[in-house]
This record gives sequence, structure tokens and C-alpha cells, in this order.
Amino acid sequence: MPKQIIIKGRKVVGGVAEGEAIVSHEPVEGWINADYQRGIITERGHPLRGIKLKDKVFVFPAPKGSGGWIRSFGWMPRYNVAPAAMLFMRGNCLTFQGAVLGNIPSMTDFDKDPVEIIETGDHVKVDADKGIVYVIKK
Amino acid sequence: MYLTKEEERMLSGEDDYVAMKCMEWLVKYGDAAGAERLVDIDGTVNAPITGTRGLTSETGIDFSGPEMRNKKVKIFTHSGQIDTPVDGWEDIGFAPWNDPDHHKAFIDSFKPLIRAGVHPTCSCTYYLVSTFNPTVGQHCAWGESSAMPWCNAILGARTNYDGCFQAAYTGKIPMYGMHLDENRVGTHLIKVEAELRDGMAYDLLGFYVGGKVGLDVPVFTGFNKPNYNELIKMNSALNTTGAIHMYHIPGLTPEARTIEDSFNGNKPEDTITVGWDELKEAYDTLNYANDDAVDFVYIGCPHLTLDQVREVAWLLEGRRCRTNLWIMTNPWTFRQAEMMGYRDIIKRAGGVLLSGTCPGLMRCLPPNTEVMATNSAKQGYYLHGLVYPKELETWYGSTKECINAAITSKWSGKWMEDK
Repeated sequence: MPKQIIIKGRKVVGGVAEGEAIVSHEPVEGWINADYQRGIITERGHPLRGIKLKDKVFVFPAPKGSGGWIRSFGWMPRYNVAPAAMLFMRGNCLTFQGAVLGNIPSMTDFDKDPVEIIETGDHVKVDADKGIVYVIKK
Repeated sequence: MYLTKEEERMLSGEDDYVAMKCMEWLVKYGDAAGAERLVDIDGTVNAPITGTRGLTSETGIDFSGPEMRNKKVKIFTHSGQIDTPVDGWEDIGFAPWNDPDHHKAFIDSFKPLIRAGVHPTCSCTYYLVSTFNPTVGQHCAWGESSAMPWCNAILGARTNYDGCFQAAYTGKIPMYGMHLDENRVGTHLIKVEAELRDGMAYDLLGFYVGGKVGLDVPVFTGFNKPNYNELIKMNSALNTTGAIHMYHIPGLTPEARTIEDSFNGNKPEDTITVGWDELKEAYDTLNYANDDAVDFVYIGCPHLTLDQVREVAWLLEGRRCRTNLWIMTNPWTFRQAEMMGYRDIIKRAGGVLLSGTCPGLMRCLPPNTEVMATNSAKQGYYLHGLVYPKELETWYGSTKECINAAITSKWSGKWMEDK
């Protein structure tokens, strides 16, 4: 049996989703340093620059920068390029409204830091309604 | 989230369809934010001027429709920057910006929300020209990241980034984050050891500190009396590499007279020293072009104050630009600049004075821009992302260096310590 890790947190936007994790160790910026039509980060020097977020469980420490964040991530579902779920260790008005706008299952305020525990490529199931993240290591 | 009887009634739609649509958003957002309740706004609101943009568009309300008849916002509301120039558009030499029909359709799109009482301030520095601002402790709902510290830190009022029609109409916003005392207490002590001599130094300081402090609350020591131009620059850069909506400058910002006050008697989580090396690190991140042949110069992020437009005009007087040069301000300052003759000076030099927007919002650079120069950490840092997957070569420097680049089409900026 592959090892399963459970992380508990607070629901931001409800729903159940699963997929392959994509993990950023750097905060994530929006406005024109992300592209809602292509579903990618475009920030110069960002470790995830250009990598498609579509259908991934997107794990990152925090948002940063412009309030354009809300639309950058909130509009990805309109172009069918959105992550399946978002897990952020620390949120603020940008992530909360972005998640609501895109109706993307999302969680925050975890008992363990998902950025440290989850690695890109792990299989992750997010039950935001119950406030539980199931991680199966690759 | 707890709702009062009045709020429940608004949400039920019994009396008012528009209030119901507004409350639906506020409740969804408040739940996502983990807010316990809504707070009554006694300050001001910043909201989009068109119903199709920003969070306002999420109501599902047809702002031109019958449901908006005789409906007015409850709270004094100004509007933020927008994605098309308000003034100076006829001087941009390419479509669609210089098309009168395009511009008319854009201005006409303000009408429904103007009827509802939203003022077309159309600027990221709306707080400078809206003529009515909140006082210490008042609850607000503002937009624009660079304006967050203006509301929270400089004015001592309280806001998260959530300005929208919904807040303006109902007079309510989720009570969490910056509305609560405990989130306004200093966390990081920033000891500034470089002598900050101009707006560029404050811009670099903000860019460096934002990246180190993230979502927390820095407390700045070691600088004396920054002016508005400098604070505006710092605020925009703090919210480029970080999301810093609150800080203290003991003795200057209203919520803390002393360092101890700023931390509410607690110890700082961390102390960060910023000297020339740290500012140079920020400078090197922003100033990375190889080709010194500049073809576009942008000055105006955040939108220039009248003092800054004057500086630019006087630098350009009697000179002639060899590159594209855009200067951006807010619509009110634009009128003053016209009356003072600054617009004419800029035009005679071949530059374009604009208002209300920026290249990032227009999602547009002048045709064939390969090498840009700007005095703005924020605009420079973002515009590279706009042209993805292309690389945009960017020079960063002082206003004077940027104007020199526009006149000579060559970059000759130098690190401030080397001057």
C-alpha cells in the first residue's frame, strides 16, 4: 500500500476534487503575472512559470501582489484551464475571492504545512467540505 | 457567518432584488474568508466604474436594466483605474486607443454606475483626488493593492482588498483581516540603514521588504519624513513582491507613536536590516536589460501626482524624445496638468500624457517594444509577465534617467551609490 498522509484544514470553497499535485514553494502572483486564458503563471523567475495548472491540485504557501489575483485564478475555469483544487497555507482577500469567483474547491489554515508535505507528482484528494486532504506519495 | 435580522432580510430579496444579489456575494465571500460576521462600513468604498468589470460583475445584476432604476449606493464610492485611457487617448498613435468610437463606447460604459452614484475617479491613486477620505478606525472596502497601505497604514482606516458595488450598495463587508485589531499589530522590525533620498529608494525598499515580509505587518525605523510620492511608491512595491496591507512607521502613521506601540508590547518575529546591498539586490532584479537601445519609456505607476507630472514636464521642456514615452496620471491631475501647460510641454517633446489606466491594464505596449525603461518597480515587474512567452528587456531607474533614455534612446542609468 502506498503511504497516505492526512492533512486537516479549513474549507474556503467546498467541493471534492483529486489529481496530481503541483507545488510552489514561492508565493503566487496574479494580474498579468498569471494568465487565466492559458492557466499558467507568467512571473519572471517563478519556479512554476509556464507550467499548466489545469486539473492539478495546486499547492502554494501564500498569494502576493496585485488584486488582479482574484480574476487571474477566478477566471481560469471559464477557459477550462483551472486547477482542480487550491491549497494555500496562508490566504488573504485575494485567494478567498479568487476561489469563490472560480468556484474552485479550496482549503487553508492547515494543521500541517502542505507545501512541506506534498511534492509535485503526489496524488492528492481534497475533500474541502469535510476539511480533509488525503496525500498519496508518488 | 452570522447575519443580523436586517442582513437576513436583504438576503431573502423580500424588499430589494439588488440588495439580495449583493448579499449573495458578500455571504459567499465572507464564508470563504472565515469571517464571523459583516461589519457596517462607516468609511468609503472603492468599486469598478463599469458593471462588467471586477468583483462588481459577479453580482449578476444588469446595471443598465430595470432592476437598477432609482438605485443609489449607500456609501461614498470612488472608482479605481480602468483598462482604457480616460484622457490623452487621441495622442496614442495606434488602434484601438485612438479611435473616437472606441473611446466613446468606453466612456458611455460608465453611465449605469454613475447613475447609481459611483464617482469616475478612475485611478489607482483615487485616494489623492476623491476629496473625501476615511478617518482612523473607519471600516472601508477598497480596491487596488497599492492603495491598501494608504487606507490601513497612512490613514489608519480599515480595509481588505474587496471594494465592489456590493459593499457600496449594502454598506456591508465581511469583518476579518484588516478590520480586526489583532491583524494590525507589527510582526517584523525593518531597520533601514541606507539613506533614502528619493522615490526610487523607497520603491526599492518596498520591493525588497515585500518579498521578505509576505502577508505580515512590517514596522519601519530609520527613515525620517517620507513625502506622498515616496510613500505611494513604497506601497506599490510592497504589494508587488508581497501583499502588505498594513505597516507602522512609528511617529508617522497614526496607530503607533513608538516601536513598542507598533508591536503591542510583543517581540518582533524577525528583524530585517536593509542597507545599500539589499536595495541593490532589488535593483538588480528590476534592472536586467542587455540592450541599451530603449524603444519605450513608461512613467506613471502608480498614477503620478501633480508634483511628479511637473517634474517630468520640466525635464522635457525644449527637448525632443527619440522613443515612445507615456506619462500616466489620474483624470483630475490631467486637467490641472493641462491648465498648467504641462501637457503641451510633454506633447511638444513627443511624449504622451494619459490618464486613468496603465500598459498592464490596457494589456498593451506600443508596437515593436523590445526594450523598455521605467521608474516603477511594480509596472516593470508585471509587464514582463504580460508578454509571455516573449522576454521583455527592462531597464529600471530614476525618473530623470528614464526621461534621459526617452530623449537619447540610450539607457545610461547607474546604481545610485555609483553616481
